[in-house]
Amino acid sequence: MHILTITINHGQSTCIVKVLIVEDEKLLSESIITCLRQEGFVCEAADHYKLAIQKIESFDYDCILLDINLPGGSGLDILNQLKKNKKLDGVLIISARNSLEDKITGLQLGADDYLPKPFHLSELVARITAIIRRRNSGGNNMLQFNELLIDTLAKTVSVNNKLVELTRKEYQLLLYFAYNKNRVISKNAIAEHLWGDETESAGNFDFIYTHVKNLRKKLIIAGCGDYIQSVYGMGYKFIS
Amino acid sequence: MKLITKYNRINIVATIVVMLIASICYYFIVRYVLIHQLDNTLKVEEAEILNYVKNNNKLPDPTNYRDQHTSFEAVRELFKRNFTNVRLYEDRHHEDNIYRVLSFPVTIDDKLYKASVTKSEDEVEDLIEKIVLVTIGIVILLLLTLFIANRFLLRRLWEPFYNTLQSIKQFNFSNKQISPSQETDIAEFKDLDTAVNSMQARIIKDYETLKNFADNASHEMQTPLAILNSKLDLLIQEPNLNEFQTKQLQSMYDAMNRLAKLNQSLLLLTKIENNQFANARAIQLNILIKEKLNQLEDLIIAKRIHLSTDLGGKIVYMNDYLADILLNNLLSNSIRHNDDDGAMNILLNNEALIISNTGAVFSFDTNNIFERFKKGETSEGIGLGLAIVKQICDNYGFEISYFFREDLHHFKIQWAKE
Repeated sequence: MHILTITINHGQSTCIVKVLIVEDEKLLSESIITCLRQEGFVCEAADHYKLAIQKIESFDYDCILLDINLPGGSGLDILNQLKKNKKLDGVLIISARNSLEDKITGLQLGADDYLPKPFHLSELVARITAIIRRRNSGGNNMLQFNELLIDTLAKTVSVNNKLVELTRKEYQLLLYFAYNKNRVISKNAIAEHLWGDETESAGNFDFIYTHVKNLRKKLIIAGCGDYIQSVYGMGYKFIS
Repeated sequence: MKLITKYNRINIVATIVVMLIASICYYFIVRYVLIHQLDNTLKVEEAEILNYVKNNNKLPDPTNYRDQHTSFEAVRELFKRNFTNVRLYEDRHHEDNIYRVLSFPVTIDDKLYKASVTKSEDEVEDLIEKIVLVTIGIVILLLLTLFIANRFLLRRLWEPFYNTLQSIKQFNFSNKQISPSQETDIAEFKDLDTAVNSMQARIIKDYETLKNFADNASHEMQTPLAILNSKLDLLIQEPNLNEFQTKQLQSMYDAMNRLAKLNQSLLLLTKIENNQFANARAIQLNILIKEKLNQLEDLIIAKRIHLSTDLGGKIVYMNDYLADILLNNLLSNSIRHNDDDGAMNILLNNEALIISNTGAVFSFDTNNIFERFKKGETSEGIGLGLAIVKQICDNYGFEISYFFREDLHHFKIQWAKE
């Protein structure tokens, strides 16, 4: 087991983020671990029920990625165990069974969020970051990148302490970028994040381009640096 | 033609033909027997005459009773004894009567006589007539009995068959109901009923297996899709990608996206078919439509679509997730297949929801518009959106229809009657 300890700066708070990935599919957990390490998270993996139980009883994690169908048991039982042990770990369920019942049961058992497979890693990072911030920041709901400040509670954005008027979609877009800073986010991932199931059609991403263009323009006019980069027409990257 | 009618028809025709042939044969046999009997009587008379001639050496006196007489005449040549039928006029009844005549040679003192014993066939004809009448009576009675028996008895006998037929007609594998067993002591119908029931059970089982297979296959596909997706997400983080590589990656993303959506839609369809969205609540459609339009605003603005709405306060009882999908699919279709600068109208009232929009005329037969994987040549969708809409409507007894009128595509949902 390799534990990478990196101190990262997410917004203003400095902390070590420990994530446990409970997923039996090796190739998928590899991808997740690679991605989360790039984000500076400390990752551990458990590929079956017993190992997962051992780990949650021995350590505390900031966030647990939990697959429901596991060899040797159900992820929902792990949730129950966490609840019994009065653990405060954040839990994000990742399940192939996109079922409402699982989602409702999971959330009732204390999971923070539910992400059906397949998902984009940028979406995963955004969800994990949101969970961790909600749990650890202790009332700190500010994300700062130099002159840019995002208030995740009031859902406002300001540049040099001056409020910038953003539409709901533009705000969601900016927050998604901020949670995935320095990562290339594909247009497909953005479309899914902003519109979810409503985007049945693939290929037509003109409206994403429009939103990004408007967001960039508004931030630049407000005196903000141009942090949003287009990457080969395939996606975008937020650089701070 | 009903089996009973056909059977009756064949039965009656066959009976009549057989009876007719039998009657003709019967007539000739009876006639033969009676004539034979008559001939015997004539022979007795012949014997008496010959006996008389032998004893007295002279001819007896000719007799002439009502139905029998004897006569003698002298002949030159010898002839053979023979039976003949002759038609004679009878004074008493002023009509011709048929007589049976036995002629035989008699020799007295070397003189040859022809003796004839004649007896009326009247009695024989009378008897035959009576027999024929009785026979016809029996045939008619038999036919009548057969007809009535077929009509009532056969109907009773075939009742289990018609019950089984009815149960086959009413069989619907989606409600998983095997028709109840028939109470019958007829082996064939019992067999039929058992066979039908076991067939229904097998169909239901196969259907379930198939459905479970589709469900499991879709679920199993989610994990490899997730792996592919995550690998692509990692790959695009590489700093030194060139334009060619990014183009290929984008194509892979798009294909992935379509596959994921297709899978998701198939899963959703199966779930709706299986009634897995059972809990319903009152939903204020006008409010939900406004919410949906708000969410789809970007797409409407991007195409500069002119939107006009007339929303009455309609409440439907349905699962909120399904209501959301129903409106989402219809509204996003209406936007997606619309022209730039096109029009979109939404009308909601207590009878129906009508969504109409401009857009290219469909190149395919619109009767199949709600079928799975039916889509226009230019559509980028996966062809399941309207199939899902139809399935949801079916589940709630709504009636969905499509028509093209005044250059507008119309989708109309007629609410279920309360």
